[in-house]
Amino acid sequence: MTRVSAFERARRAARITRTALVIWALYKLPDFARRVLRRPPPTDRTRTHERAAREVLATALSLRGVVIKVCQVIATRADVFPPPFIEILKQCHDAVPPHDFAIVREVVERELGKPLDAVYAEFEERPLASASLAQVHRARLHDGRAVAVKVQYPEIEALVPSDLGNIRRACRVYEFFDPQPLELLPLLDELVKHLALELDFVREADNADRVRALFAGDTHVVVPVIHREWSTRRVITMELMDGLKVTDREALARAGIDRAELVQSLMSIYVRMILAQGFFQADPHPGNLFVRPGGQVVLLDFGLAKELPEGFGLGLFELMFSMMTLNEAAMIRAFQELGFETKTGDPQTFVEIARRMMRRSDTGRFEGEFTEQMTDELFEAIRENPVVRVPSDFVLVGRVFSLLSGIAHTLGHRANVLEAMGASTGSA
Amino acid sequence: MAAVSPERFDFSEEELLESGGYDAPLLANQVRCHGGFDARGEYRSPRTVHRAPAIAAWQARLAAEGHELIRLDPALMPPQYPSVAQAKLLLAEGVSDPIVRALTIISIVEGFGAIIRDVPVPDLRASFREPVGGTALAHLGRGLFEAHARDEAGHRDEGGHKQLWEAARDLALENPRVPGDVLMRIMGRRAQRQRRRLLPELDADLERMLATMATVLAVEIFAARTFDWGERLLSDPEVSARPEEAGAMVRYIRSDETPHVEYLRTALSEVAARTLRTVDGRILPGRVAVDRLMHANLRALTSERPRENRADVREGLADAIARAGRGDDLLERLDALETPWTPPARTGFEPRDGDPAAPAHHGDPAALA
Repeated sequence: MTRVSAFERARRAARITRTALVIWALYKLPDFARRVLRRPPPTDRTRTHERAAREVLATALSLRGVVIKVCQVIATRADVFPPPFIEILKQCHDAVPPHDFAIVREVVERELGKPLDAVYAEFEERPLASASLAQVHRARLHDGRAVAVKVQYPEIEALVPSDLGNIRRACRVYEFFDPQPLELLPLLDELVKHLALELDFVREADNADRVRALFAGDTHVVVPVIHREWSTRRVITMELMDGLKVTDREALARAGIDRAELVQSLMSIYVRMILAQGFFQADPHPGNLFVRPGGQVVLLDFGLAKELPEGFGLGLFELMFSMMTLNEAAMIRAFQELGFETKTGDPQTFVEIARRMMRRSDTGRFEGEFTEQMTDELFEAIRENPVVRVPSDFVLVGRVFSLLSGIAHTLGHRANVLEAMGASTGSA
Repeated sequence: MAAVSPERFDFSEEELLESGGYDAPLLANQVRCHGGFDARGEYRSPRTVHRAPAIAAWQARLAAEGHELIRLDPALMPPQYPSVAQAKLLLAEGVSDPIVRALTIISIVEGFGAIIRDVPVPDLRASFREPVGGTALAHLGRGLFEAHARDEAGHRDEGGHKQLWEAARDLALENPRVPGDVLMRIMGRRAQRQRRRLLPELDADLERMLATMATVLAVEIFAARTFDWGERLLSDPEVSARPEEAGAMVRYIRSDETPHVEYLRTALSEVAARTLRTVDGRILPGRVAVDRLMHANLRALTSERPRENRADVREGLADAIARAGRGDDLLERLDALETPWTPPARTGFEPRDGDPAAPAHHGDPAALA
């Protein structure tokens, strides 16, 4: 593990503390002033949220690494954070500058125990992509096979405990002083768990193998092969995958790919993983999905993969199905079986939430597709606090369906979960 | 409740969805379901106050015009696997997963029936050369599909067939653990089927509607065998903890299914008695379209589907038997209880393009529904 200097640690701690103070001041000083002047509290805090989110973004881009990861997680938790945070911190998915190649070379050589040239005949210095924890380079093995090499940033592991410790302290202080705090510590605990998993590339390779096995024999789905001999806990060497970006309408049209079929195919792939198999690649943003001629879908990046508890897929199916068929009694049962709890214990709250979601759908009904607007509405309803417990698995799954819905929207077609399961073939 | 005149052929959507009042509601394992009981304690299906007499009126009209209702040869219905005897053996030996899985799949597939409400109904006046007023066809998008959907999946605060099957399973087998692979089993064999157009000369929406109706009709009729299996198994005191209640649930479902079979065969018979307009301005005898769809469906349902179902159940059997700590001889005993079945060579709907005057349908009229 690369060591990080005490100065660097102190700099990071200071920046995180400063950010926490700025945010506290943004929210609390105006409140204090209003109380002194006996003015009512503001009804709309959008501008404050925006300023706070920009402050967090600036800190993330300055400190990178774990802090960017934290922001990426915040951007996925619309059930906890207000919309401006989600919108502004979404930028963290794209705005990660790469590390110098010399650093990359050092990591690869240390991890593989050989000079770079001994493993790879070619290794492009400019990365194909850079993210919060790692960056990816195109390379070629000596046997001629084209590969993608994912290299973990060397300082990340060393920074995780200190950065998370600083953030945790800030959260504790916030929760201590705020009369109605957002529950940030459980979120942080979850992030710690996820980070530990994401930093272990052996596990990521296992995830890729597992998803590939789920689709064994299915020619519609491709998962890159991992070259285990050139992969370690911090480096993955995998089959280089080419293909069209899933949201590139012009390229898809040139390749003769039917967008409606592609949308349904994507939904079918994720329904199969989530509802039927209970194990899924949990990050279907457009950068992680390629399309090949014939409509074959390439799944990439298995750092964020999730195993759902037994019965969760069936419970989720029941929820979606009951919403689709307007069966409110079944809706309530499904919400409860999934682990939702209401503040008042009144199950009718679930029906109200479902109705709110359906009002936000294109047709006023749930037709088997969670649109982004519908999940936004769900999370808004949850933020309003009639629900005190939301299963974190549900949040992740909701985000996946929301991302898929976004892709479907870009492609101009809608996907239907039940059709993806083959429901249109009739029943008794 | 007003009696419906036999001469009446047009009904509003509200009428076709009307259930009327019940003296007692149907509670299935504490879940309020559709339908209910009259003063004599007789079960009354939901949404049949006007729907049942309406279907009878459309059928009578069709007969008066000299057209027959389409019928299926009961010999086409494949047996359920595992049979009642085999299922009883498995349950007696403590191997319940395959049966729980089968019952759960039945409940889910029943619920899938609700998707019929999303089938687009094109302008049928433009689709046929003859008028369609006062027919079942004219009411598909005005209550018949919606009633069907509500019956299958439940609506608002009432459960439907999906919930009734779940209740029957849970009552009989005492709230068993549902195997985690149920959805995988459904997807494994259903989602990979590719749709192919059988009537490319028709508007795609019209074909989709007709194809769905033909598929659902065949599945509904074939389901009679599944329901019979379910009723016999779940009402058997040797394996069922609550035989009377569980068996009754299946009987109620069977009773509710009658209007589904009847409106679908009526509407498809009305199609067969008419002439369809093709997208290129030509015509296609409705009988040709119906035969083509029914033949393809029946071929699949009598050949591929039973094989797939059997293979699917067999796939999980060995594991389930091993998990229950039973030896291989159980599989042999199970196989000894099996009666081989061969599908009939003909479906009775063999396409006869270019022969519009040929007799329309075959089969035993007494055997249907």
